[in-house]
Amino acid sequence: MNEPATIKVESRPKEPSRTPREWIRKNLFSNTPNTILTFIFGAISIYAIRELLGFILSGERRWGAVATNMRLLMAQGYPANQFVRVWFTLGCLMALSGLSLATWRASGRLSLGKISTWTMNLGGGLALFAILAPISWASRLGWIIAAALFLLVGLSMWFGLRDSEKRFSGSVPTVWFTYGFLGVLVLSLWTVPYGHYAFVDGELIAETGRTVAMSTKLPFTVMWLILVGSYLIGTQVRQWIPIGRTKAVLIGLWFLSPFVLNWIVLRDPDFDYAHIASTDIPLALMFAIGGGLVLYLLSKPDLGEIGRIVAIIFLIFAIFNWVAAFFGWYPMLQKVRISFVLLALAALVAPNFAADKKTRLRFVASWIGLIAVSHWLITAINSPSTLKLQGPTYLGGFSLTLFVAVLTLLLSFPLGVLLALGRTSTMPIARVLSTAYIESIRGVPLITILFFFSNILPLFLPEGMEIAELAAIVTGYTLFSAAYLAENVRGGLQSVMRGQYEAADAIGLTTSQRTGFIVIPQALRVSIPPLVGQAIGVFKETSLVAIVGAFDLLRIAAYVVPSQTEFLGVKREGLLLISVIYFIVAFSMSKYSQKLEERVGLGER
Amino acid sequence: MSAETAHTTRPDMIVCENVDKWFGDFQALKGVTATIAEQEVVVVLGPSGSGKSTWIRCINRLEAHEKGTIVVDGVELTNDLRNIEKIRSEVGMVFQQFNLFPHITVLDNVTLAPKWVRKMPKAEAENKAKELLEMVGIPEQASKYPGQLSGGQQQRVAIARALAMEPRIMLFDEPTSALDPEMIKEVLDVMRDLALGGMTMMVVTHEMGFAREVADRIFFLESGEIVEEGTPEHFFTNPTEDRTKLFLSQIL
Amino acid sequence: MIQETPPQNYHHQKPPFYRDAIVVKWLFQLGALALVVFSLWFLASQARDNLAARDISTGFDFLSVDPGINLSEGIDTRPATGGRALWVGMVNTIRLATAGILAATILGLLVGLARLSNNWVVNKLGSVFVETLRNIPLLVQIILYGAILANLGDLSYDSGWDNWVIWSNKGLSIPRVFIADGFYQWAIFMLIGSVAARWAYKSRQRQHDETGRDTYPWIASLGVLGAFAVIGWFIHPIFGWVGGIFGAIGDGISKIPEEVLQAALSIIAVLLAGNWIRNFLRSRRTPGGSAQLTDDDKFRVIFSGVSAGLVIVVVYVVWPGLSSWMINSSSDLFGVLDDKFGNGRSGGPFGADRPEVIKTGMFEKYGPSGLTMSIGFAAVFFGVVFYTAAFIAEIVRGGILAVPKGQIEAANSLGMKRSAALRTVILPQALRVMMPPLGNQYLNLTKNTSLAIAVGFSDLVQVGQTVGNQTGKNLSVFAIWMLFYLACSLTISVVVNFFNVRLRIVER
Repeated sequence: MNEPATIKVESRPKEPSRTPREWIRKNLFSNTPNTILTFIFGAISIYAIRELLGFILSGERRWGAVATNMRLLMAQGYPANQFVRVWFTLGCLMALSGLSLATWRASGRLSLGKISTWTMNLGGGLALFAILAPISWASRLGWIIAAALFLLVGLSMWFGLRDSEKRFSGSVPTVWFTYGFLGVLVLSLWTVPYGHYAFVDGELIAETGRTVAMSTKLPFTVMWLILVGSYLIGTQVRQWIPIGRTKAVLIGLWFLSPFVLNWIVLRDPDFDYAHIASTDIPLALMFAIGGGLVLYLLSKPDLGEIGRIVAIIFLIFAIFNWVAAFFGWYPMLQKVRISFVLLALAALVAPNFAADKKTRLRFVASWIGLIAVSHWLITAINSPSTLKLQGPTYLGGFSLTLFVAVLTLLLSFPLGVLLALGRTSTMPIARVLSTAYIESIRGVPLITILFFFSNILPLFLPEGMEIAELAAIVTGYTLFSAAYLAENVRGGLQSVMRGQYEAADAIGLTTSQRTGFIVIPQALRVSIPPLVGQAIGVFKETSLVAIVGAFDLLRIAAYVVPSQTEFLGVKREGLLLISVIYFIVAFSMSKYSQKLEERVGLGER
Repeated sequence: MSAETAHTTRPDMIVCENVDKWFGDFQALKGVTATIAEQEVVVVLGPSGSGKSTWIRCINRLEAHEKGTIVVDGVELTNDLRNIEKIRSEVGMVFQQFNLFPHITVLDNVTLAPKWVRKMPKAEAENKAKELLEMVGIPEQASKYPGQLSGGQQQRVAIARALAMEPRIMLFDEPTSALDPEMIKEVLDVMRDLALGGMTMMVVTHEMGFAREVADRIFFLESGEIVEEGTPEHFFTNPTEDRTKLFLSQIL
Repeated sequence: MIQETPPQNYHHQKPPFYRDAIVVKWLFQLGALALVVFSLWFLASQARDNLAARDISTGFDFLSVDPGINLSEGIDTRPATGGRALWVGMVNTIRLATAGILAATILGLLVGLARLSNNWVVNKLGSVFVETLRNIPLLVQIILYGAILANLGDLSYDSGWDNWVIWSNKGLSIPRVFIADGFYQWAIFMLIGSVAARWAYKSRQRQHDETGRDTYPWIASLGVLGAFAVIGWFIHPIFGWVGGIFGAIGDGISKIPEEVLQAALSIIAVLLAGNWIRNFLRSRRTPGGSAQLTDDDKFRVIFSGVSAGLVIVVVYVVWPGLSSWMINSSSDLFGVLDDKFGNGRSGGPFGADRPEVIKTGMFEKYGPSGLTMSIGFAAVFFGVVFYTAAFIAEIVRGGILAVPKGQIEAANSLGMKRSAALRTVILPQALRVMMPPLGNQYLNLTKNTSLAIAVGFSDLVQVGQTVGNQTGKNLSVFAIWMLFYLACSLTISVVVNFFNVRLRIVER
């Protein structure tokens, strides 16, 4: 898809810059009540900051508990000798991020004026810290010098750009500014003595006064290099390969990454190659070739309704397989059942691909690709893991939080869109069913749903069928989140004009083509900002899985660390730290969504 | 070319017989009966709310009529899914509000239906689309988005989009009503060319000049009924019905 | 013009069913419905088998059995039956939600206004409050507040500020204003007073309209109300006889036979459905002829008929105890009212007390005089209040910013005072924008109180979880949770809708 010409927005003329004195008078002391407000709330802020700093820096706080347990908080009990897998996963995500940033040209530009303001603010913050924090006079002096340095740099930038024209037009790309900032952080790992804390074989290590361990600083440096390197590669790729194709490949990779990275890389399946050669590969070939042939036939242009009828028979058969499996009527591999469902769904959409030979062959090729990927993933998921674990799952802490959030969002998306379509459709029964589902789910708190799925769901399963605790939780969370997602998408669907439906009908599109090509793309475009808002909510509320027993970030900070004999009852430190982690993720996402909202508002084309 | 000759020499394209249509308890069409022959250009006139838009929207079943019969190109409009598909791909429609798809380019707008409904290969569909855009006079706008075009250009793209399906009948639902005056002409010119090329057309419009010059026959609707029909000369110079006279006196 | 009939073969071409748009549409829907019903039936039968295999009975009999649990706080900490325990949990949830909604609204309003302030310090403080609190998960906040409160000092006679506010690791205690003995009789007085006040307002308003003088209708009506309040404070026992009426009503209700109520409910359901169908059909009857029912219309008619049928099935078959339960509980309700309004209540309508620390045995604890919040209650309360207030602040800010600037300028140009402009022009318009999202936030707050389980406060979910684990009736408890929260959602949306409609009328 070609980029539309960017819409130039005439920027509002900037207010004439005032002298600091005028600024203070206008914003703090414009009249008597204002002055009183300034003094009262100024005092309150100073008191609050002082108390907070006092709390954080108090000698009673045991931040060592957090520092020592950092690995536990991030990846719980992932085997130390296999930790390279975690870094590999992170590296893949970094590489994808770098490539995507370059491909979508997501970078804006930061004006120099803004950067100098930030530097000055940082200096001011440091100065405030130096004055208010309960620290020794020597270190206070050090902090004041640092503050003065930042203030000086900021001021000299500001006044070096006295010419206000330059101040607002001179800029650097945001991406490079961010990379530089991250680079400084990584560099500090090598130079600043943060201290070396760890549990090694249950032995507590706490060496203050040295830099962090090599096993921390080296991987982070590599991560930074991958991020920057992949961005550079991405900028080059733009020139060789058509942008649309890169985007499609990247979207596919992003979609696959949670599955591949979690089940293949992190879980390291112990493949049984003999079984694979004897059963799995022949099965996959059978479905690829047999299914491909069927689909090639079904996409014949002059087939008419027979195609639909065959597809519906397929679908009934595919559903019946699952019912039979529930009752144990006849044995059938799970993989075969899934493949039949996929085949039935493909058969249903086949008439849309009925065209010349080339299109049909491409359709068959994507079917073969789908079979290859899905069979590979199913085999991997069903193989036992090679990891020797202490805990119940190999994921834990922040990695579990992220995994639950991402998986829930991915899985609830199609379901939510379907529910939204059902609720806005002209079919009364579908409407009643989706509305009842959405409203009853939205009426109850998430925690009750999670309890239902972790306690009660096993009661509903036939004998001999079990569901892992985590799978039950993700299922419940997905069903919950889908109801909210449906409401957001519904807003988008309702904003699609009636005329769009009519025009699509008038040129002869079928209902599914109309929905897929015309309605959903337009609806999703409108719903992007609320959907990002919902993603933030899903991320924040993953913390609830701690209550039903999953070892996520919150559970480790609030229950696991305080129960270690070395750090008995040390709870507030860990909670404060994870608050900061949650805040950083949620805040940056919400800032991004605000930006998106502006862009959606502007780019109405 | 008079209605009689058109009728006797050419096969019927659209046959409506006693068509009734209700919206809730409001009857929009009351026993509309008319026959339109191939290559005939018909203009439908009438005050607003008279049911003219409803009528032509019934002809490609954007609205389902409730009583009577509509036969388009030998195919009766019923609940038969196959017939609906067939009619929709043979009847092109142009809307008052253009209704272009705003999220895809002009070229994609025009090629979408040929590719997915006519199952035309992509290259062929694009060539055809470019020809059509050339015909309506905006070949250079192919890669733009509809929102970047003027109203007149958008309406011409909408005509090209409808023509891309190679329809045998074109319906126009007030194609110029949402346009600024200076853009009306460019759209009417395209329509005139189309009519001269022998397309069967049914046009709801308020452009009396167009009606007088291009139409073979004019229908006058009021309150869902056909009050009068006839050639432009008959209609504009010598209407028989009082209601027609009143309408003409208000509008001319 | 030649009138020509179309060839005969066009007529009565009925397409085969699989190509008929309407048949396909309904087949598809019935298929989906069958799938849903089948899955539900299948899961239910599976659950029944599993429960039977594990020797667990379903049903609600546990509601009347002693669950053998202690609750951390509430109107009854050692409930005698499961139902009583859940009731305690519900009361705790409602208390928490009501207090939370009030506090969050006030705090959110203040913070929202702060974010609109011209004062840089106030403005920034508001922004920091909002951005910090709404980006940290509520559960993390609740547990953090719980941890901080649990680390306060031990309770002693000099904790806190001079018996006004006392804090310790046993909780917070603040002065309390409570409803005393005579409140209900006084409330009747106030009811009459408000009618009188309304009359005073109207007559003053009329006077103003007639003469154009300033008649201050608001002040007059408030004065009338105040006078009633003061007089009622002293002479409210004269309404002691009202209790007797309620008692009589309660007795009357308890005498209604079960069958009568069942029949009445069924008849009401049938009449409502019939009335709806009749009105619907009438709206489809056209002057031009018979009503043309689309398949959608037919579905609506059938749906309302089926709903009425369902009500009858529920009343007679699924839950035959419903009607006796309704009779008993409403007669109980009137019994309670009899007691509250009855004779022999001579105390004042309100009382107030300061908190105190008392010592029983070895340990200090809070006396009953103050309003005491346990650590659990306080942690959840502060959690939901701060979290929701951050969202409400954004709603308030958005609502006020949504009022076009021209409105304020217009008010200024009319020479209105700033406060008058705010009250009569800006607030009504802003409120209209704010109301729906505000209602949503109230709903969220109510649902979020369920996180109390993390700090061990006995709300409905915590109690339900305990009772469920104790008796194995998790499924029944889940049903009660759903019903309770759906009822809460419904109540809040009804209230919000009421105000919404009121505001719209005010606007006209």
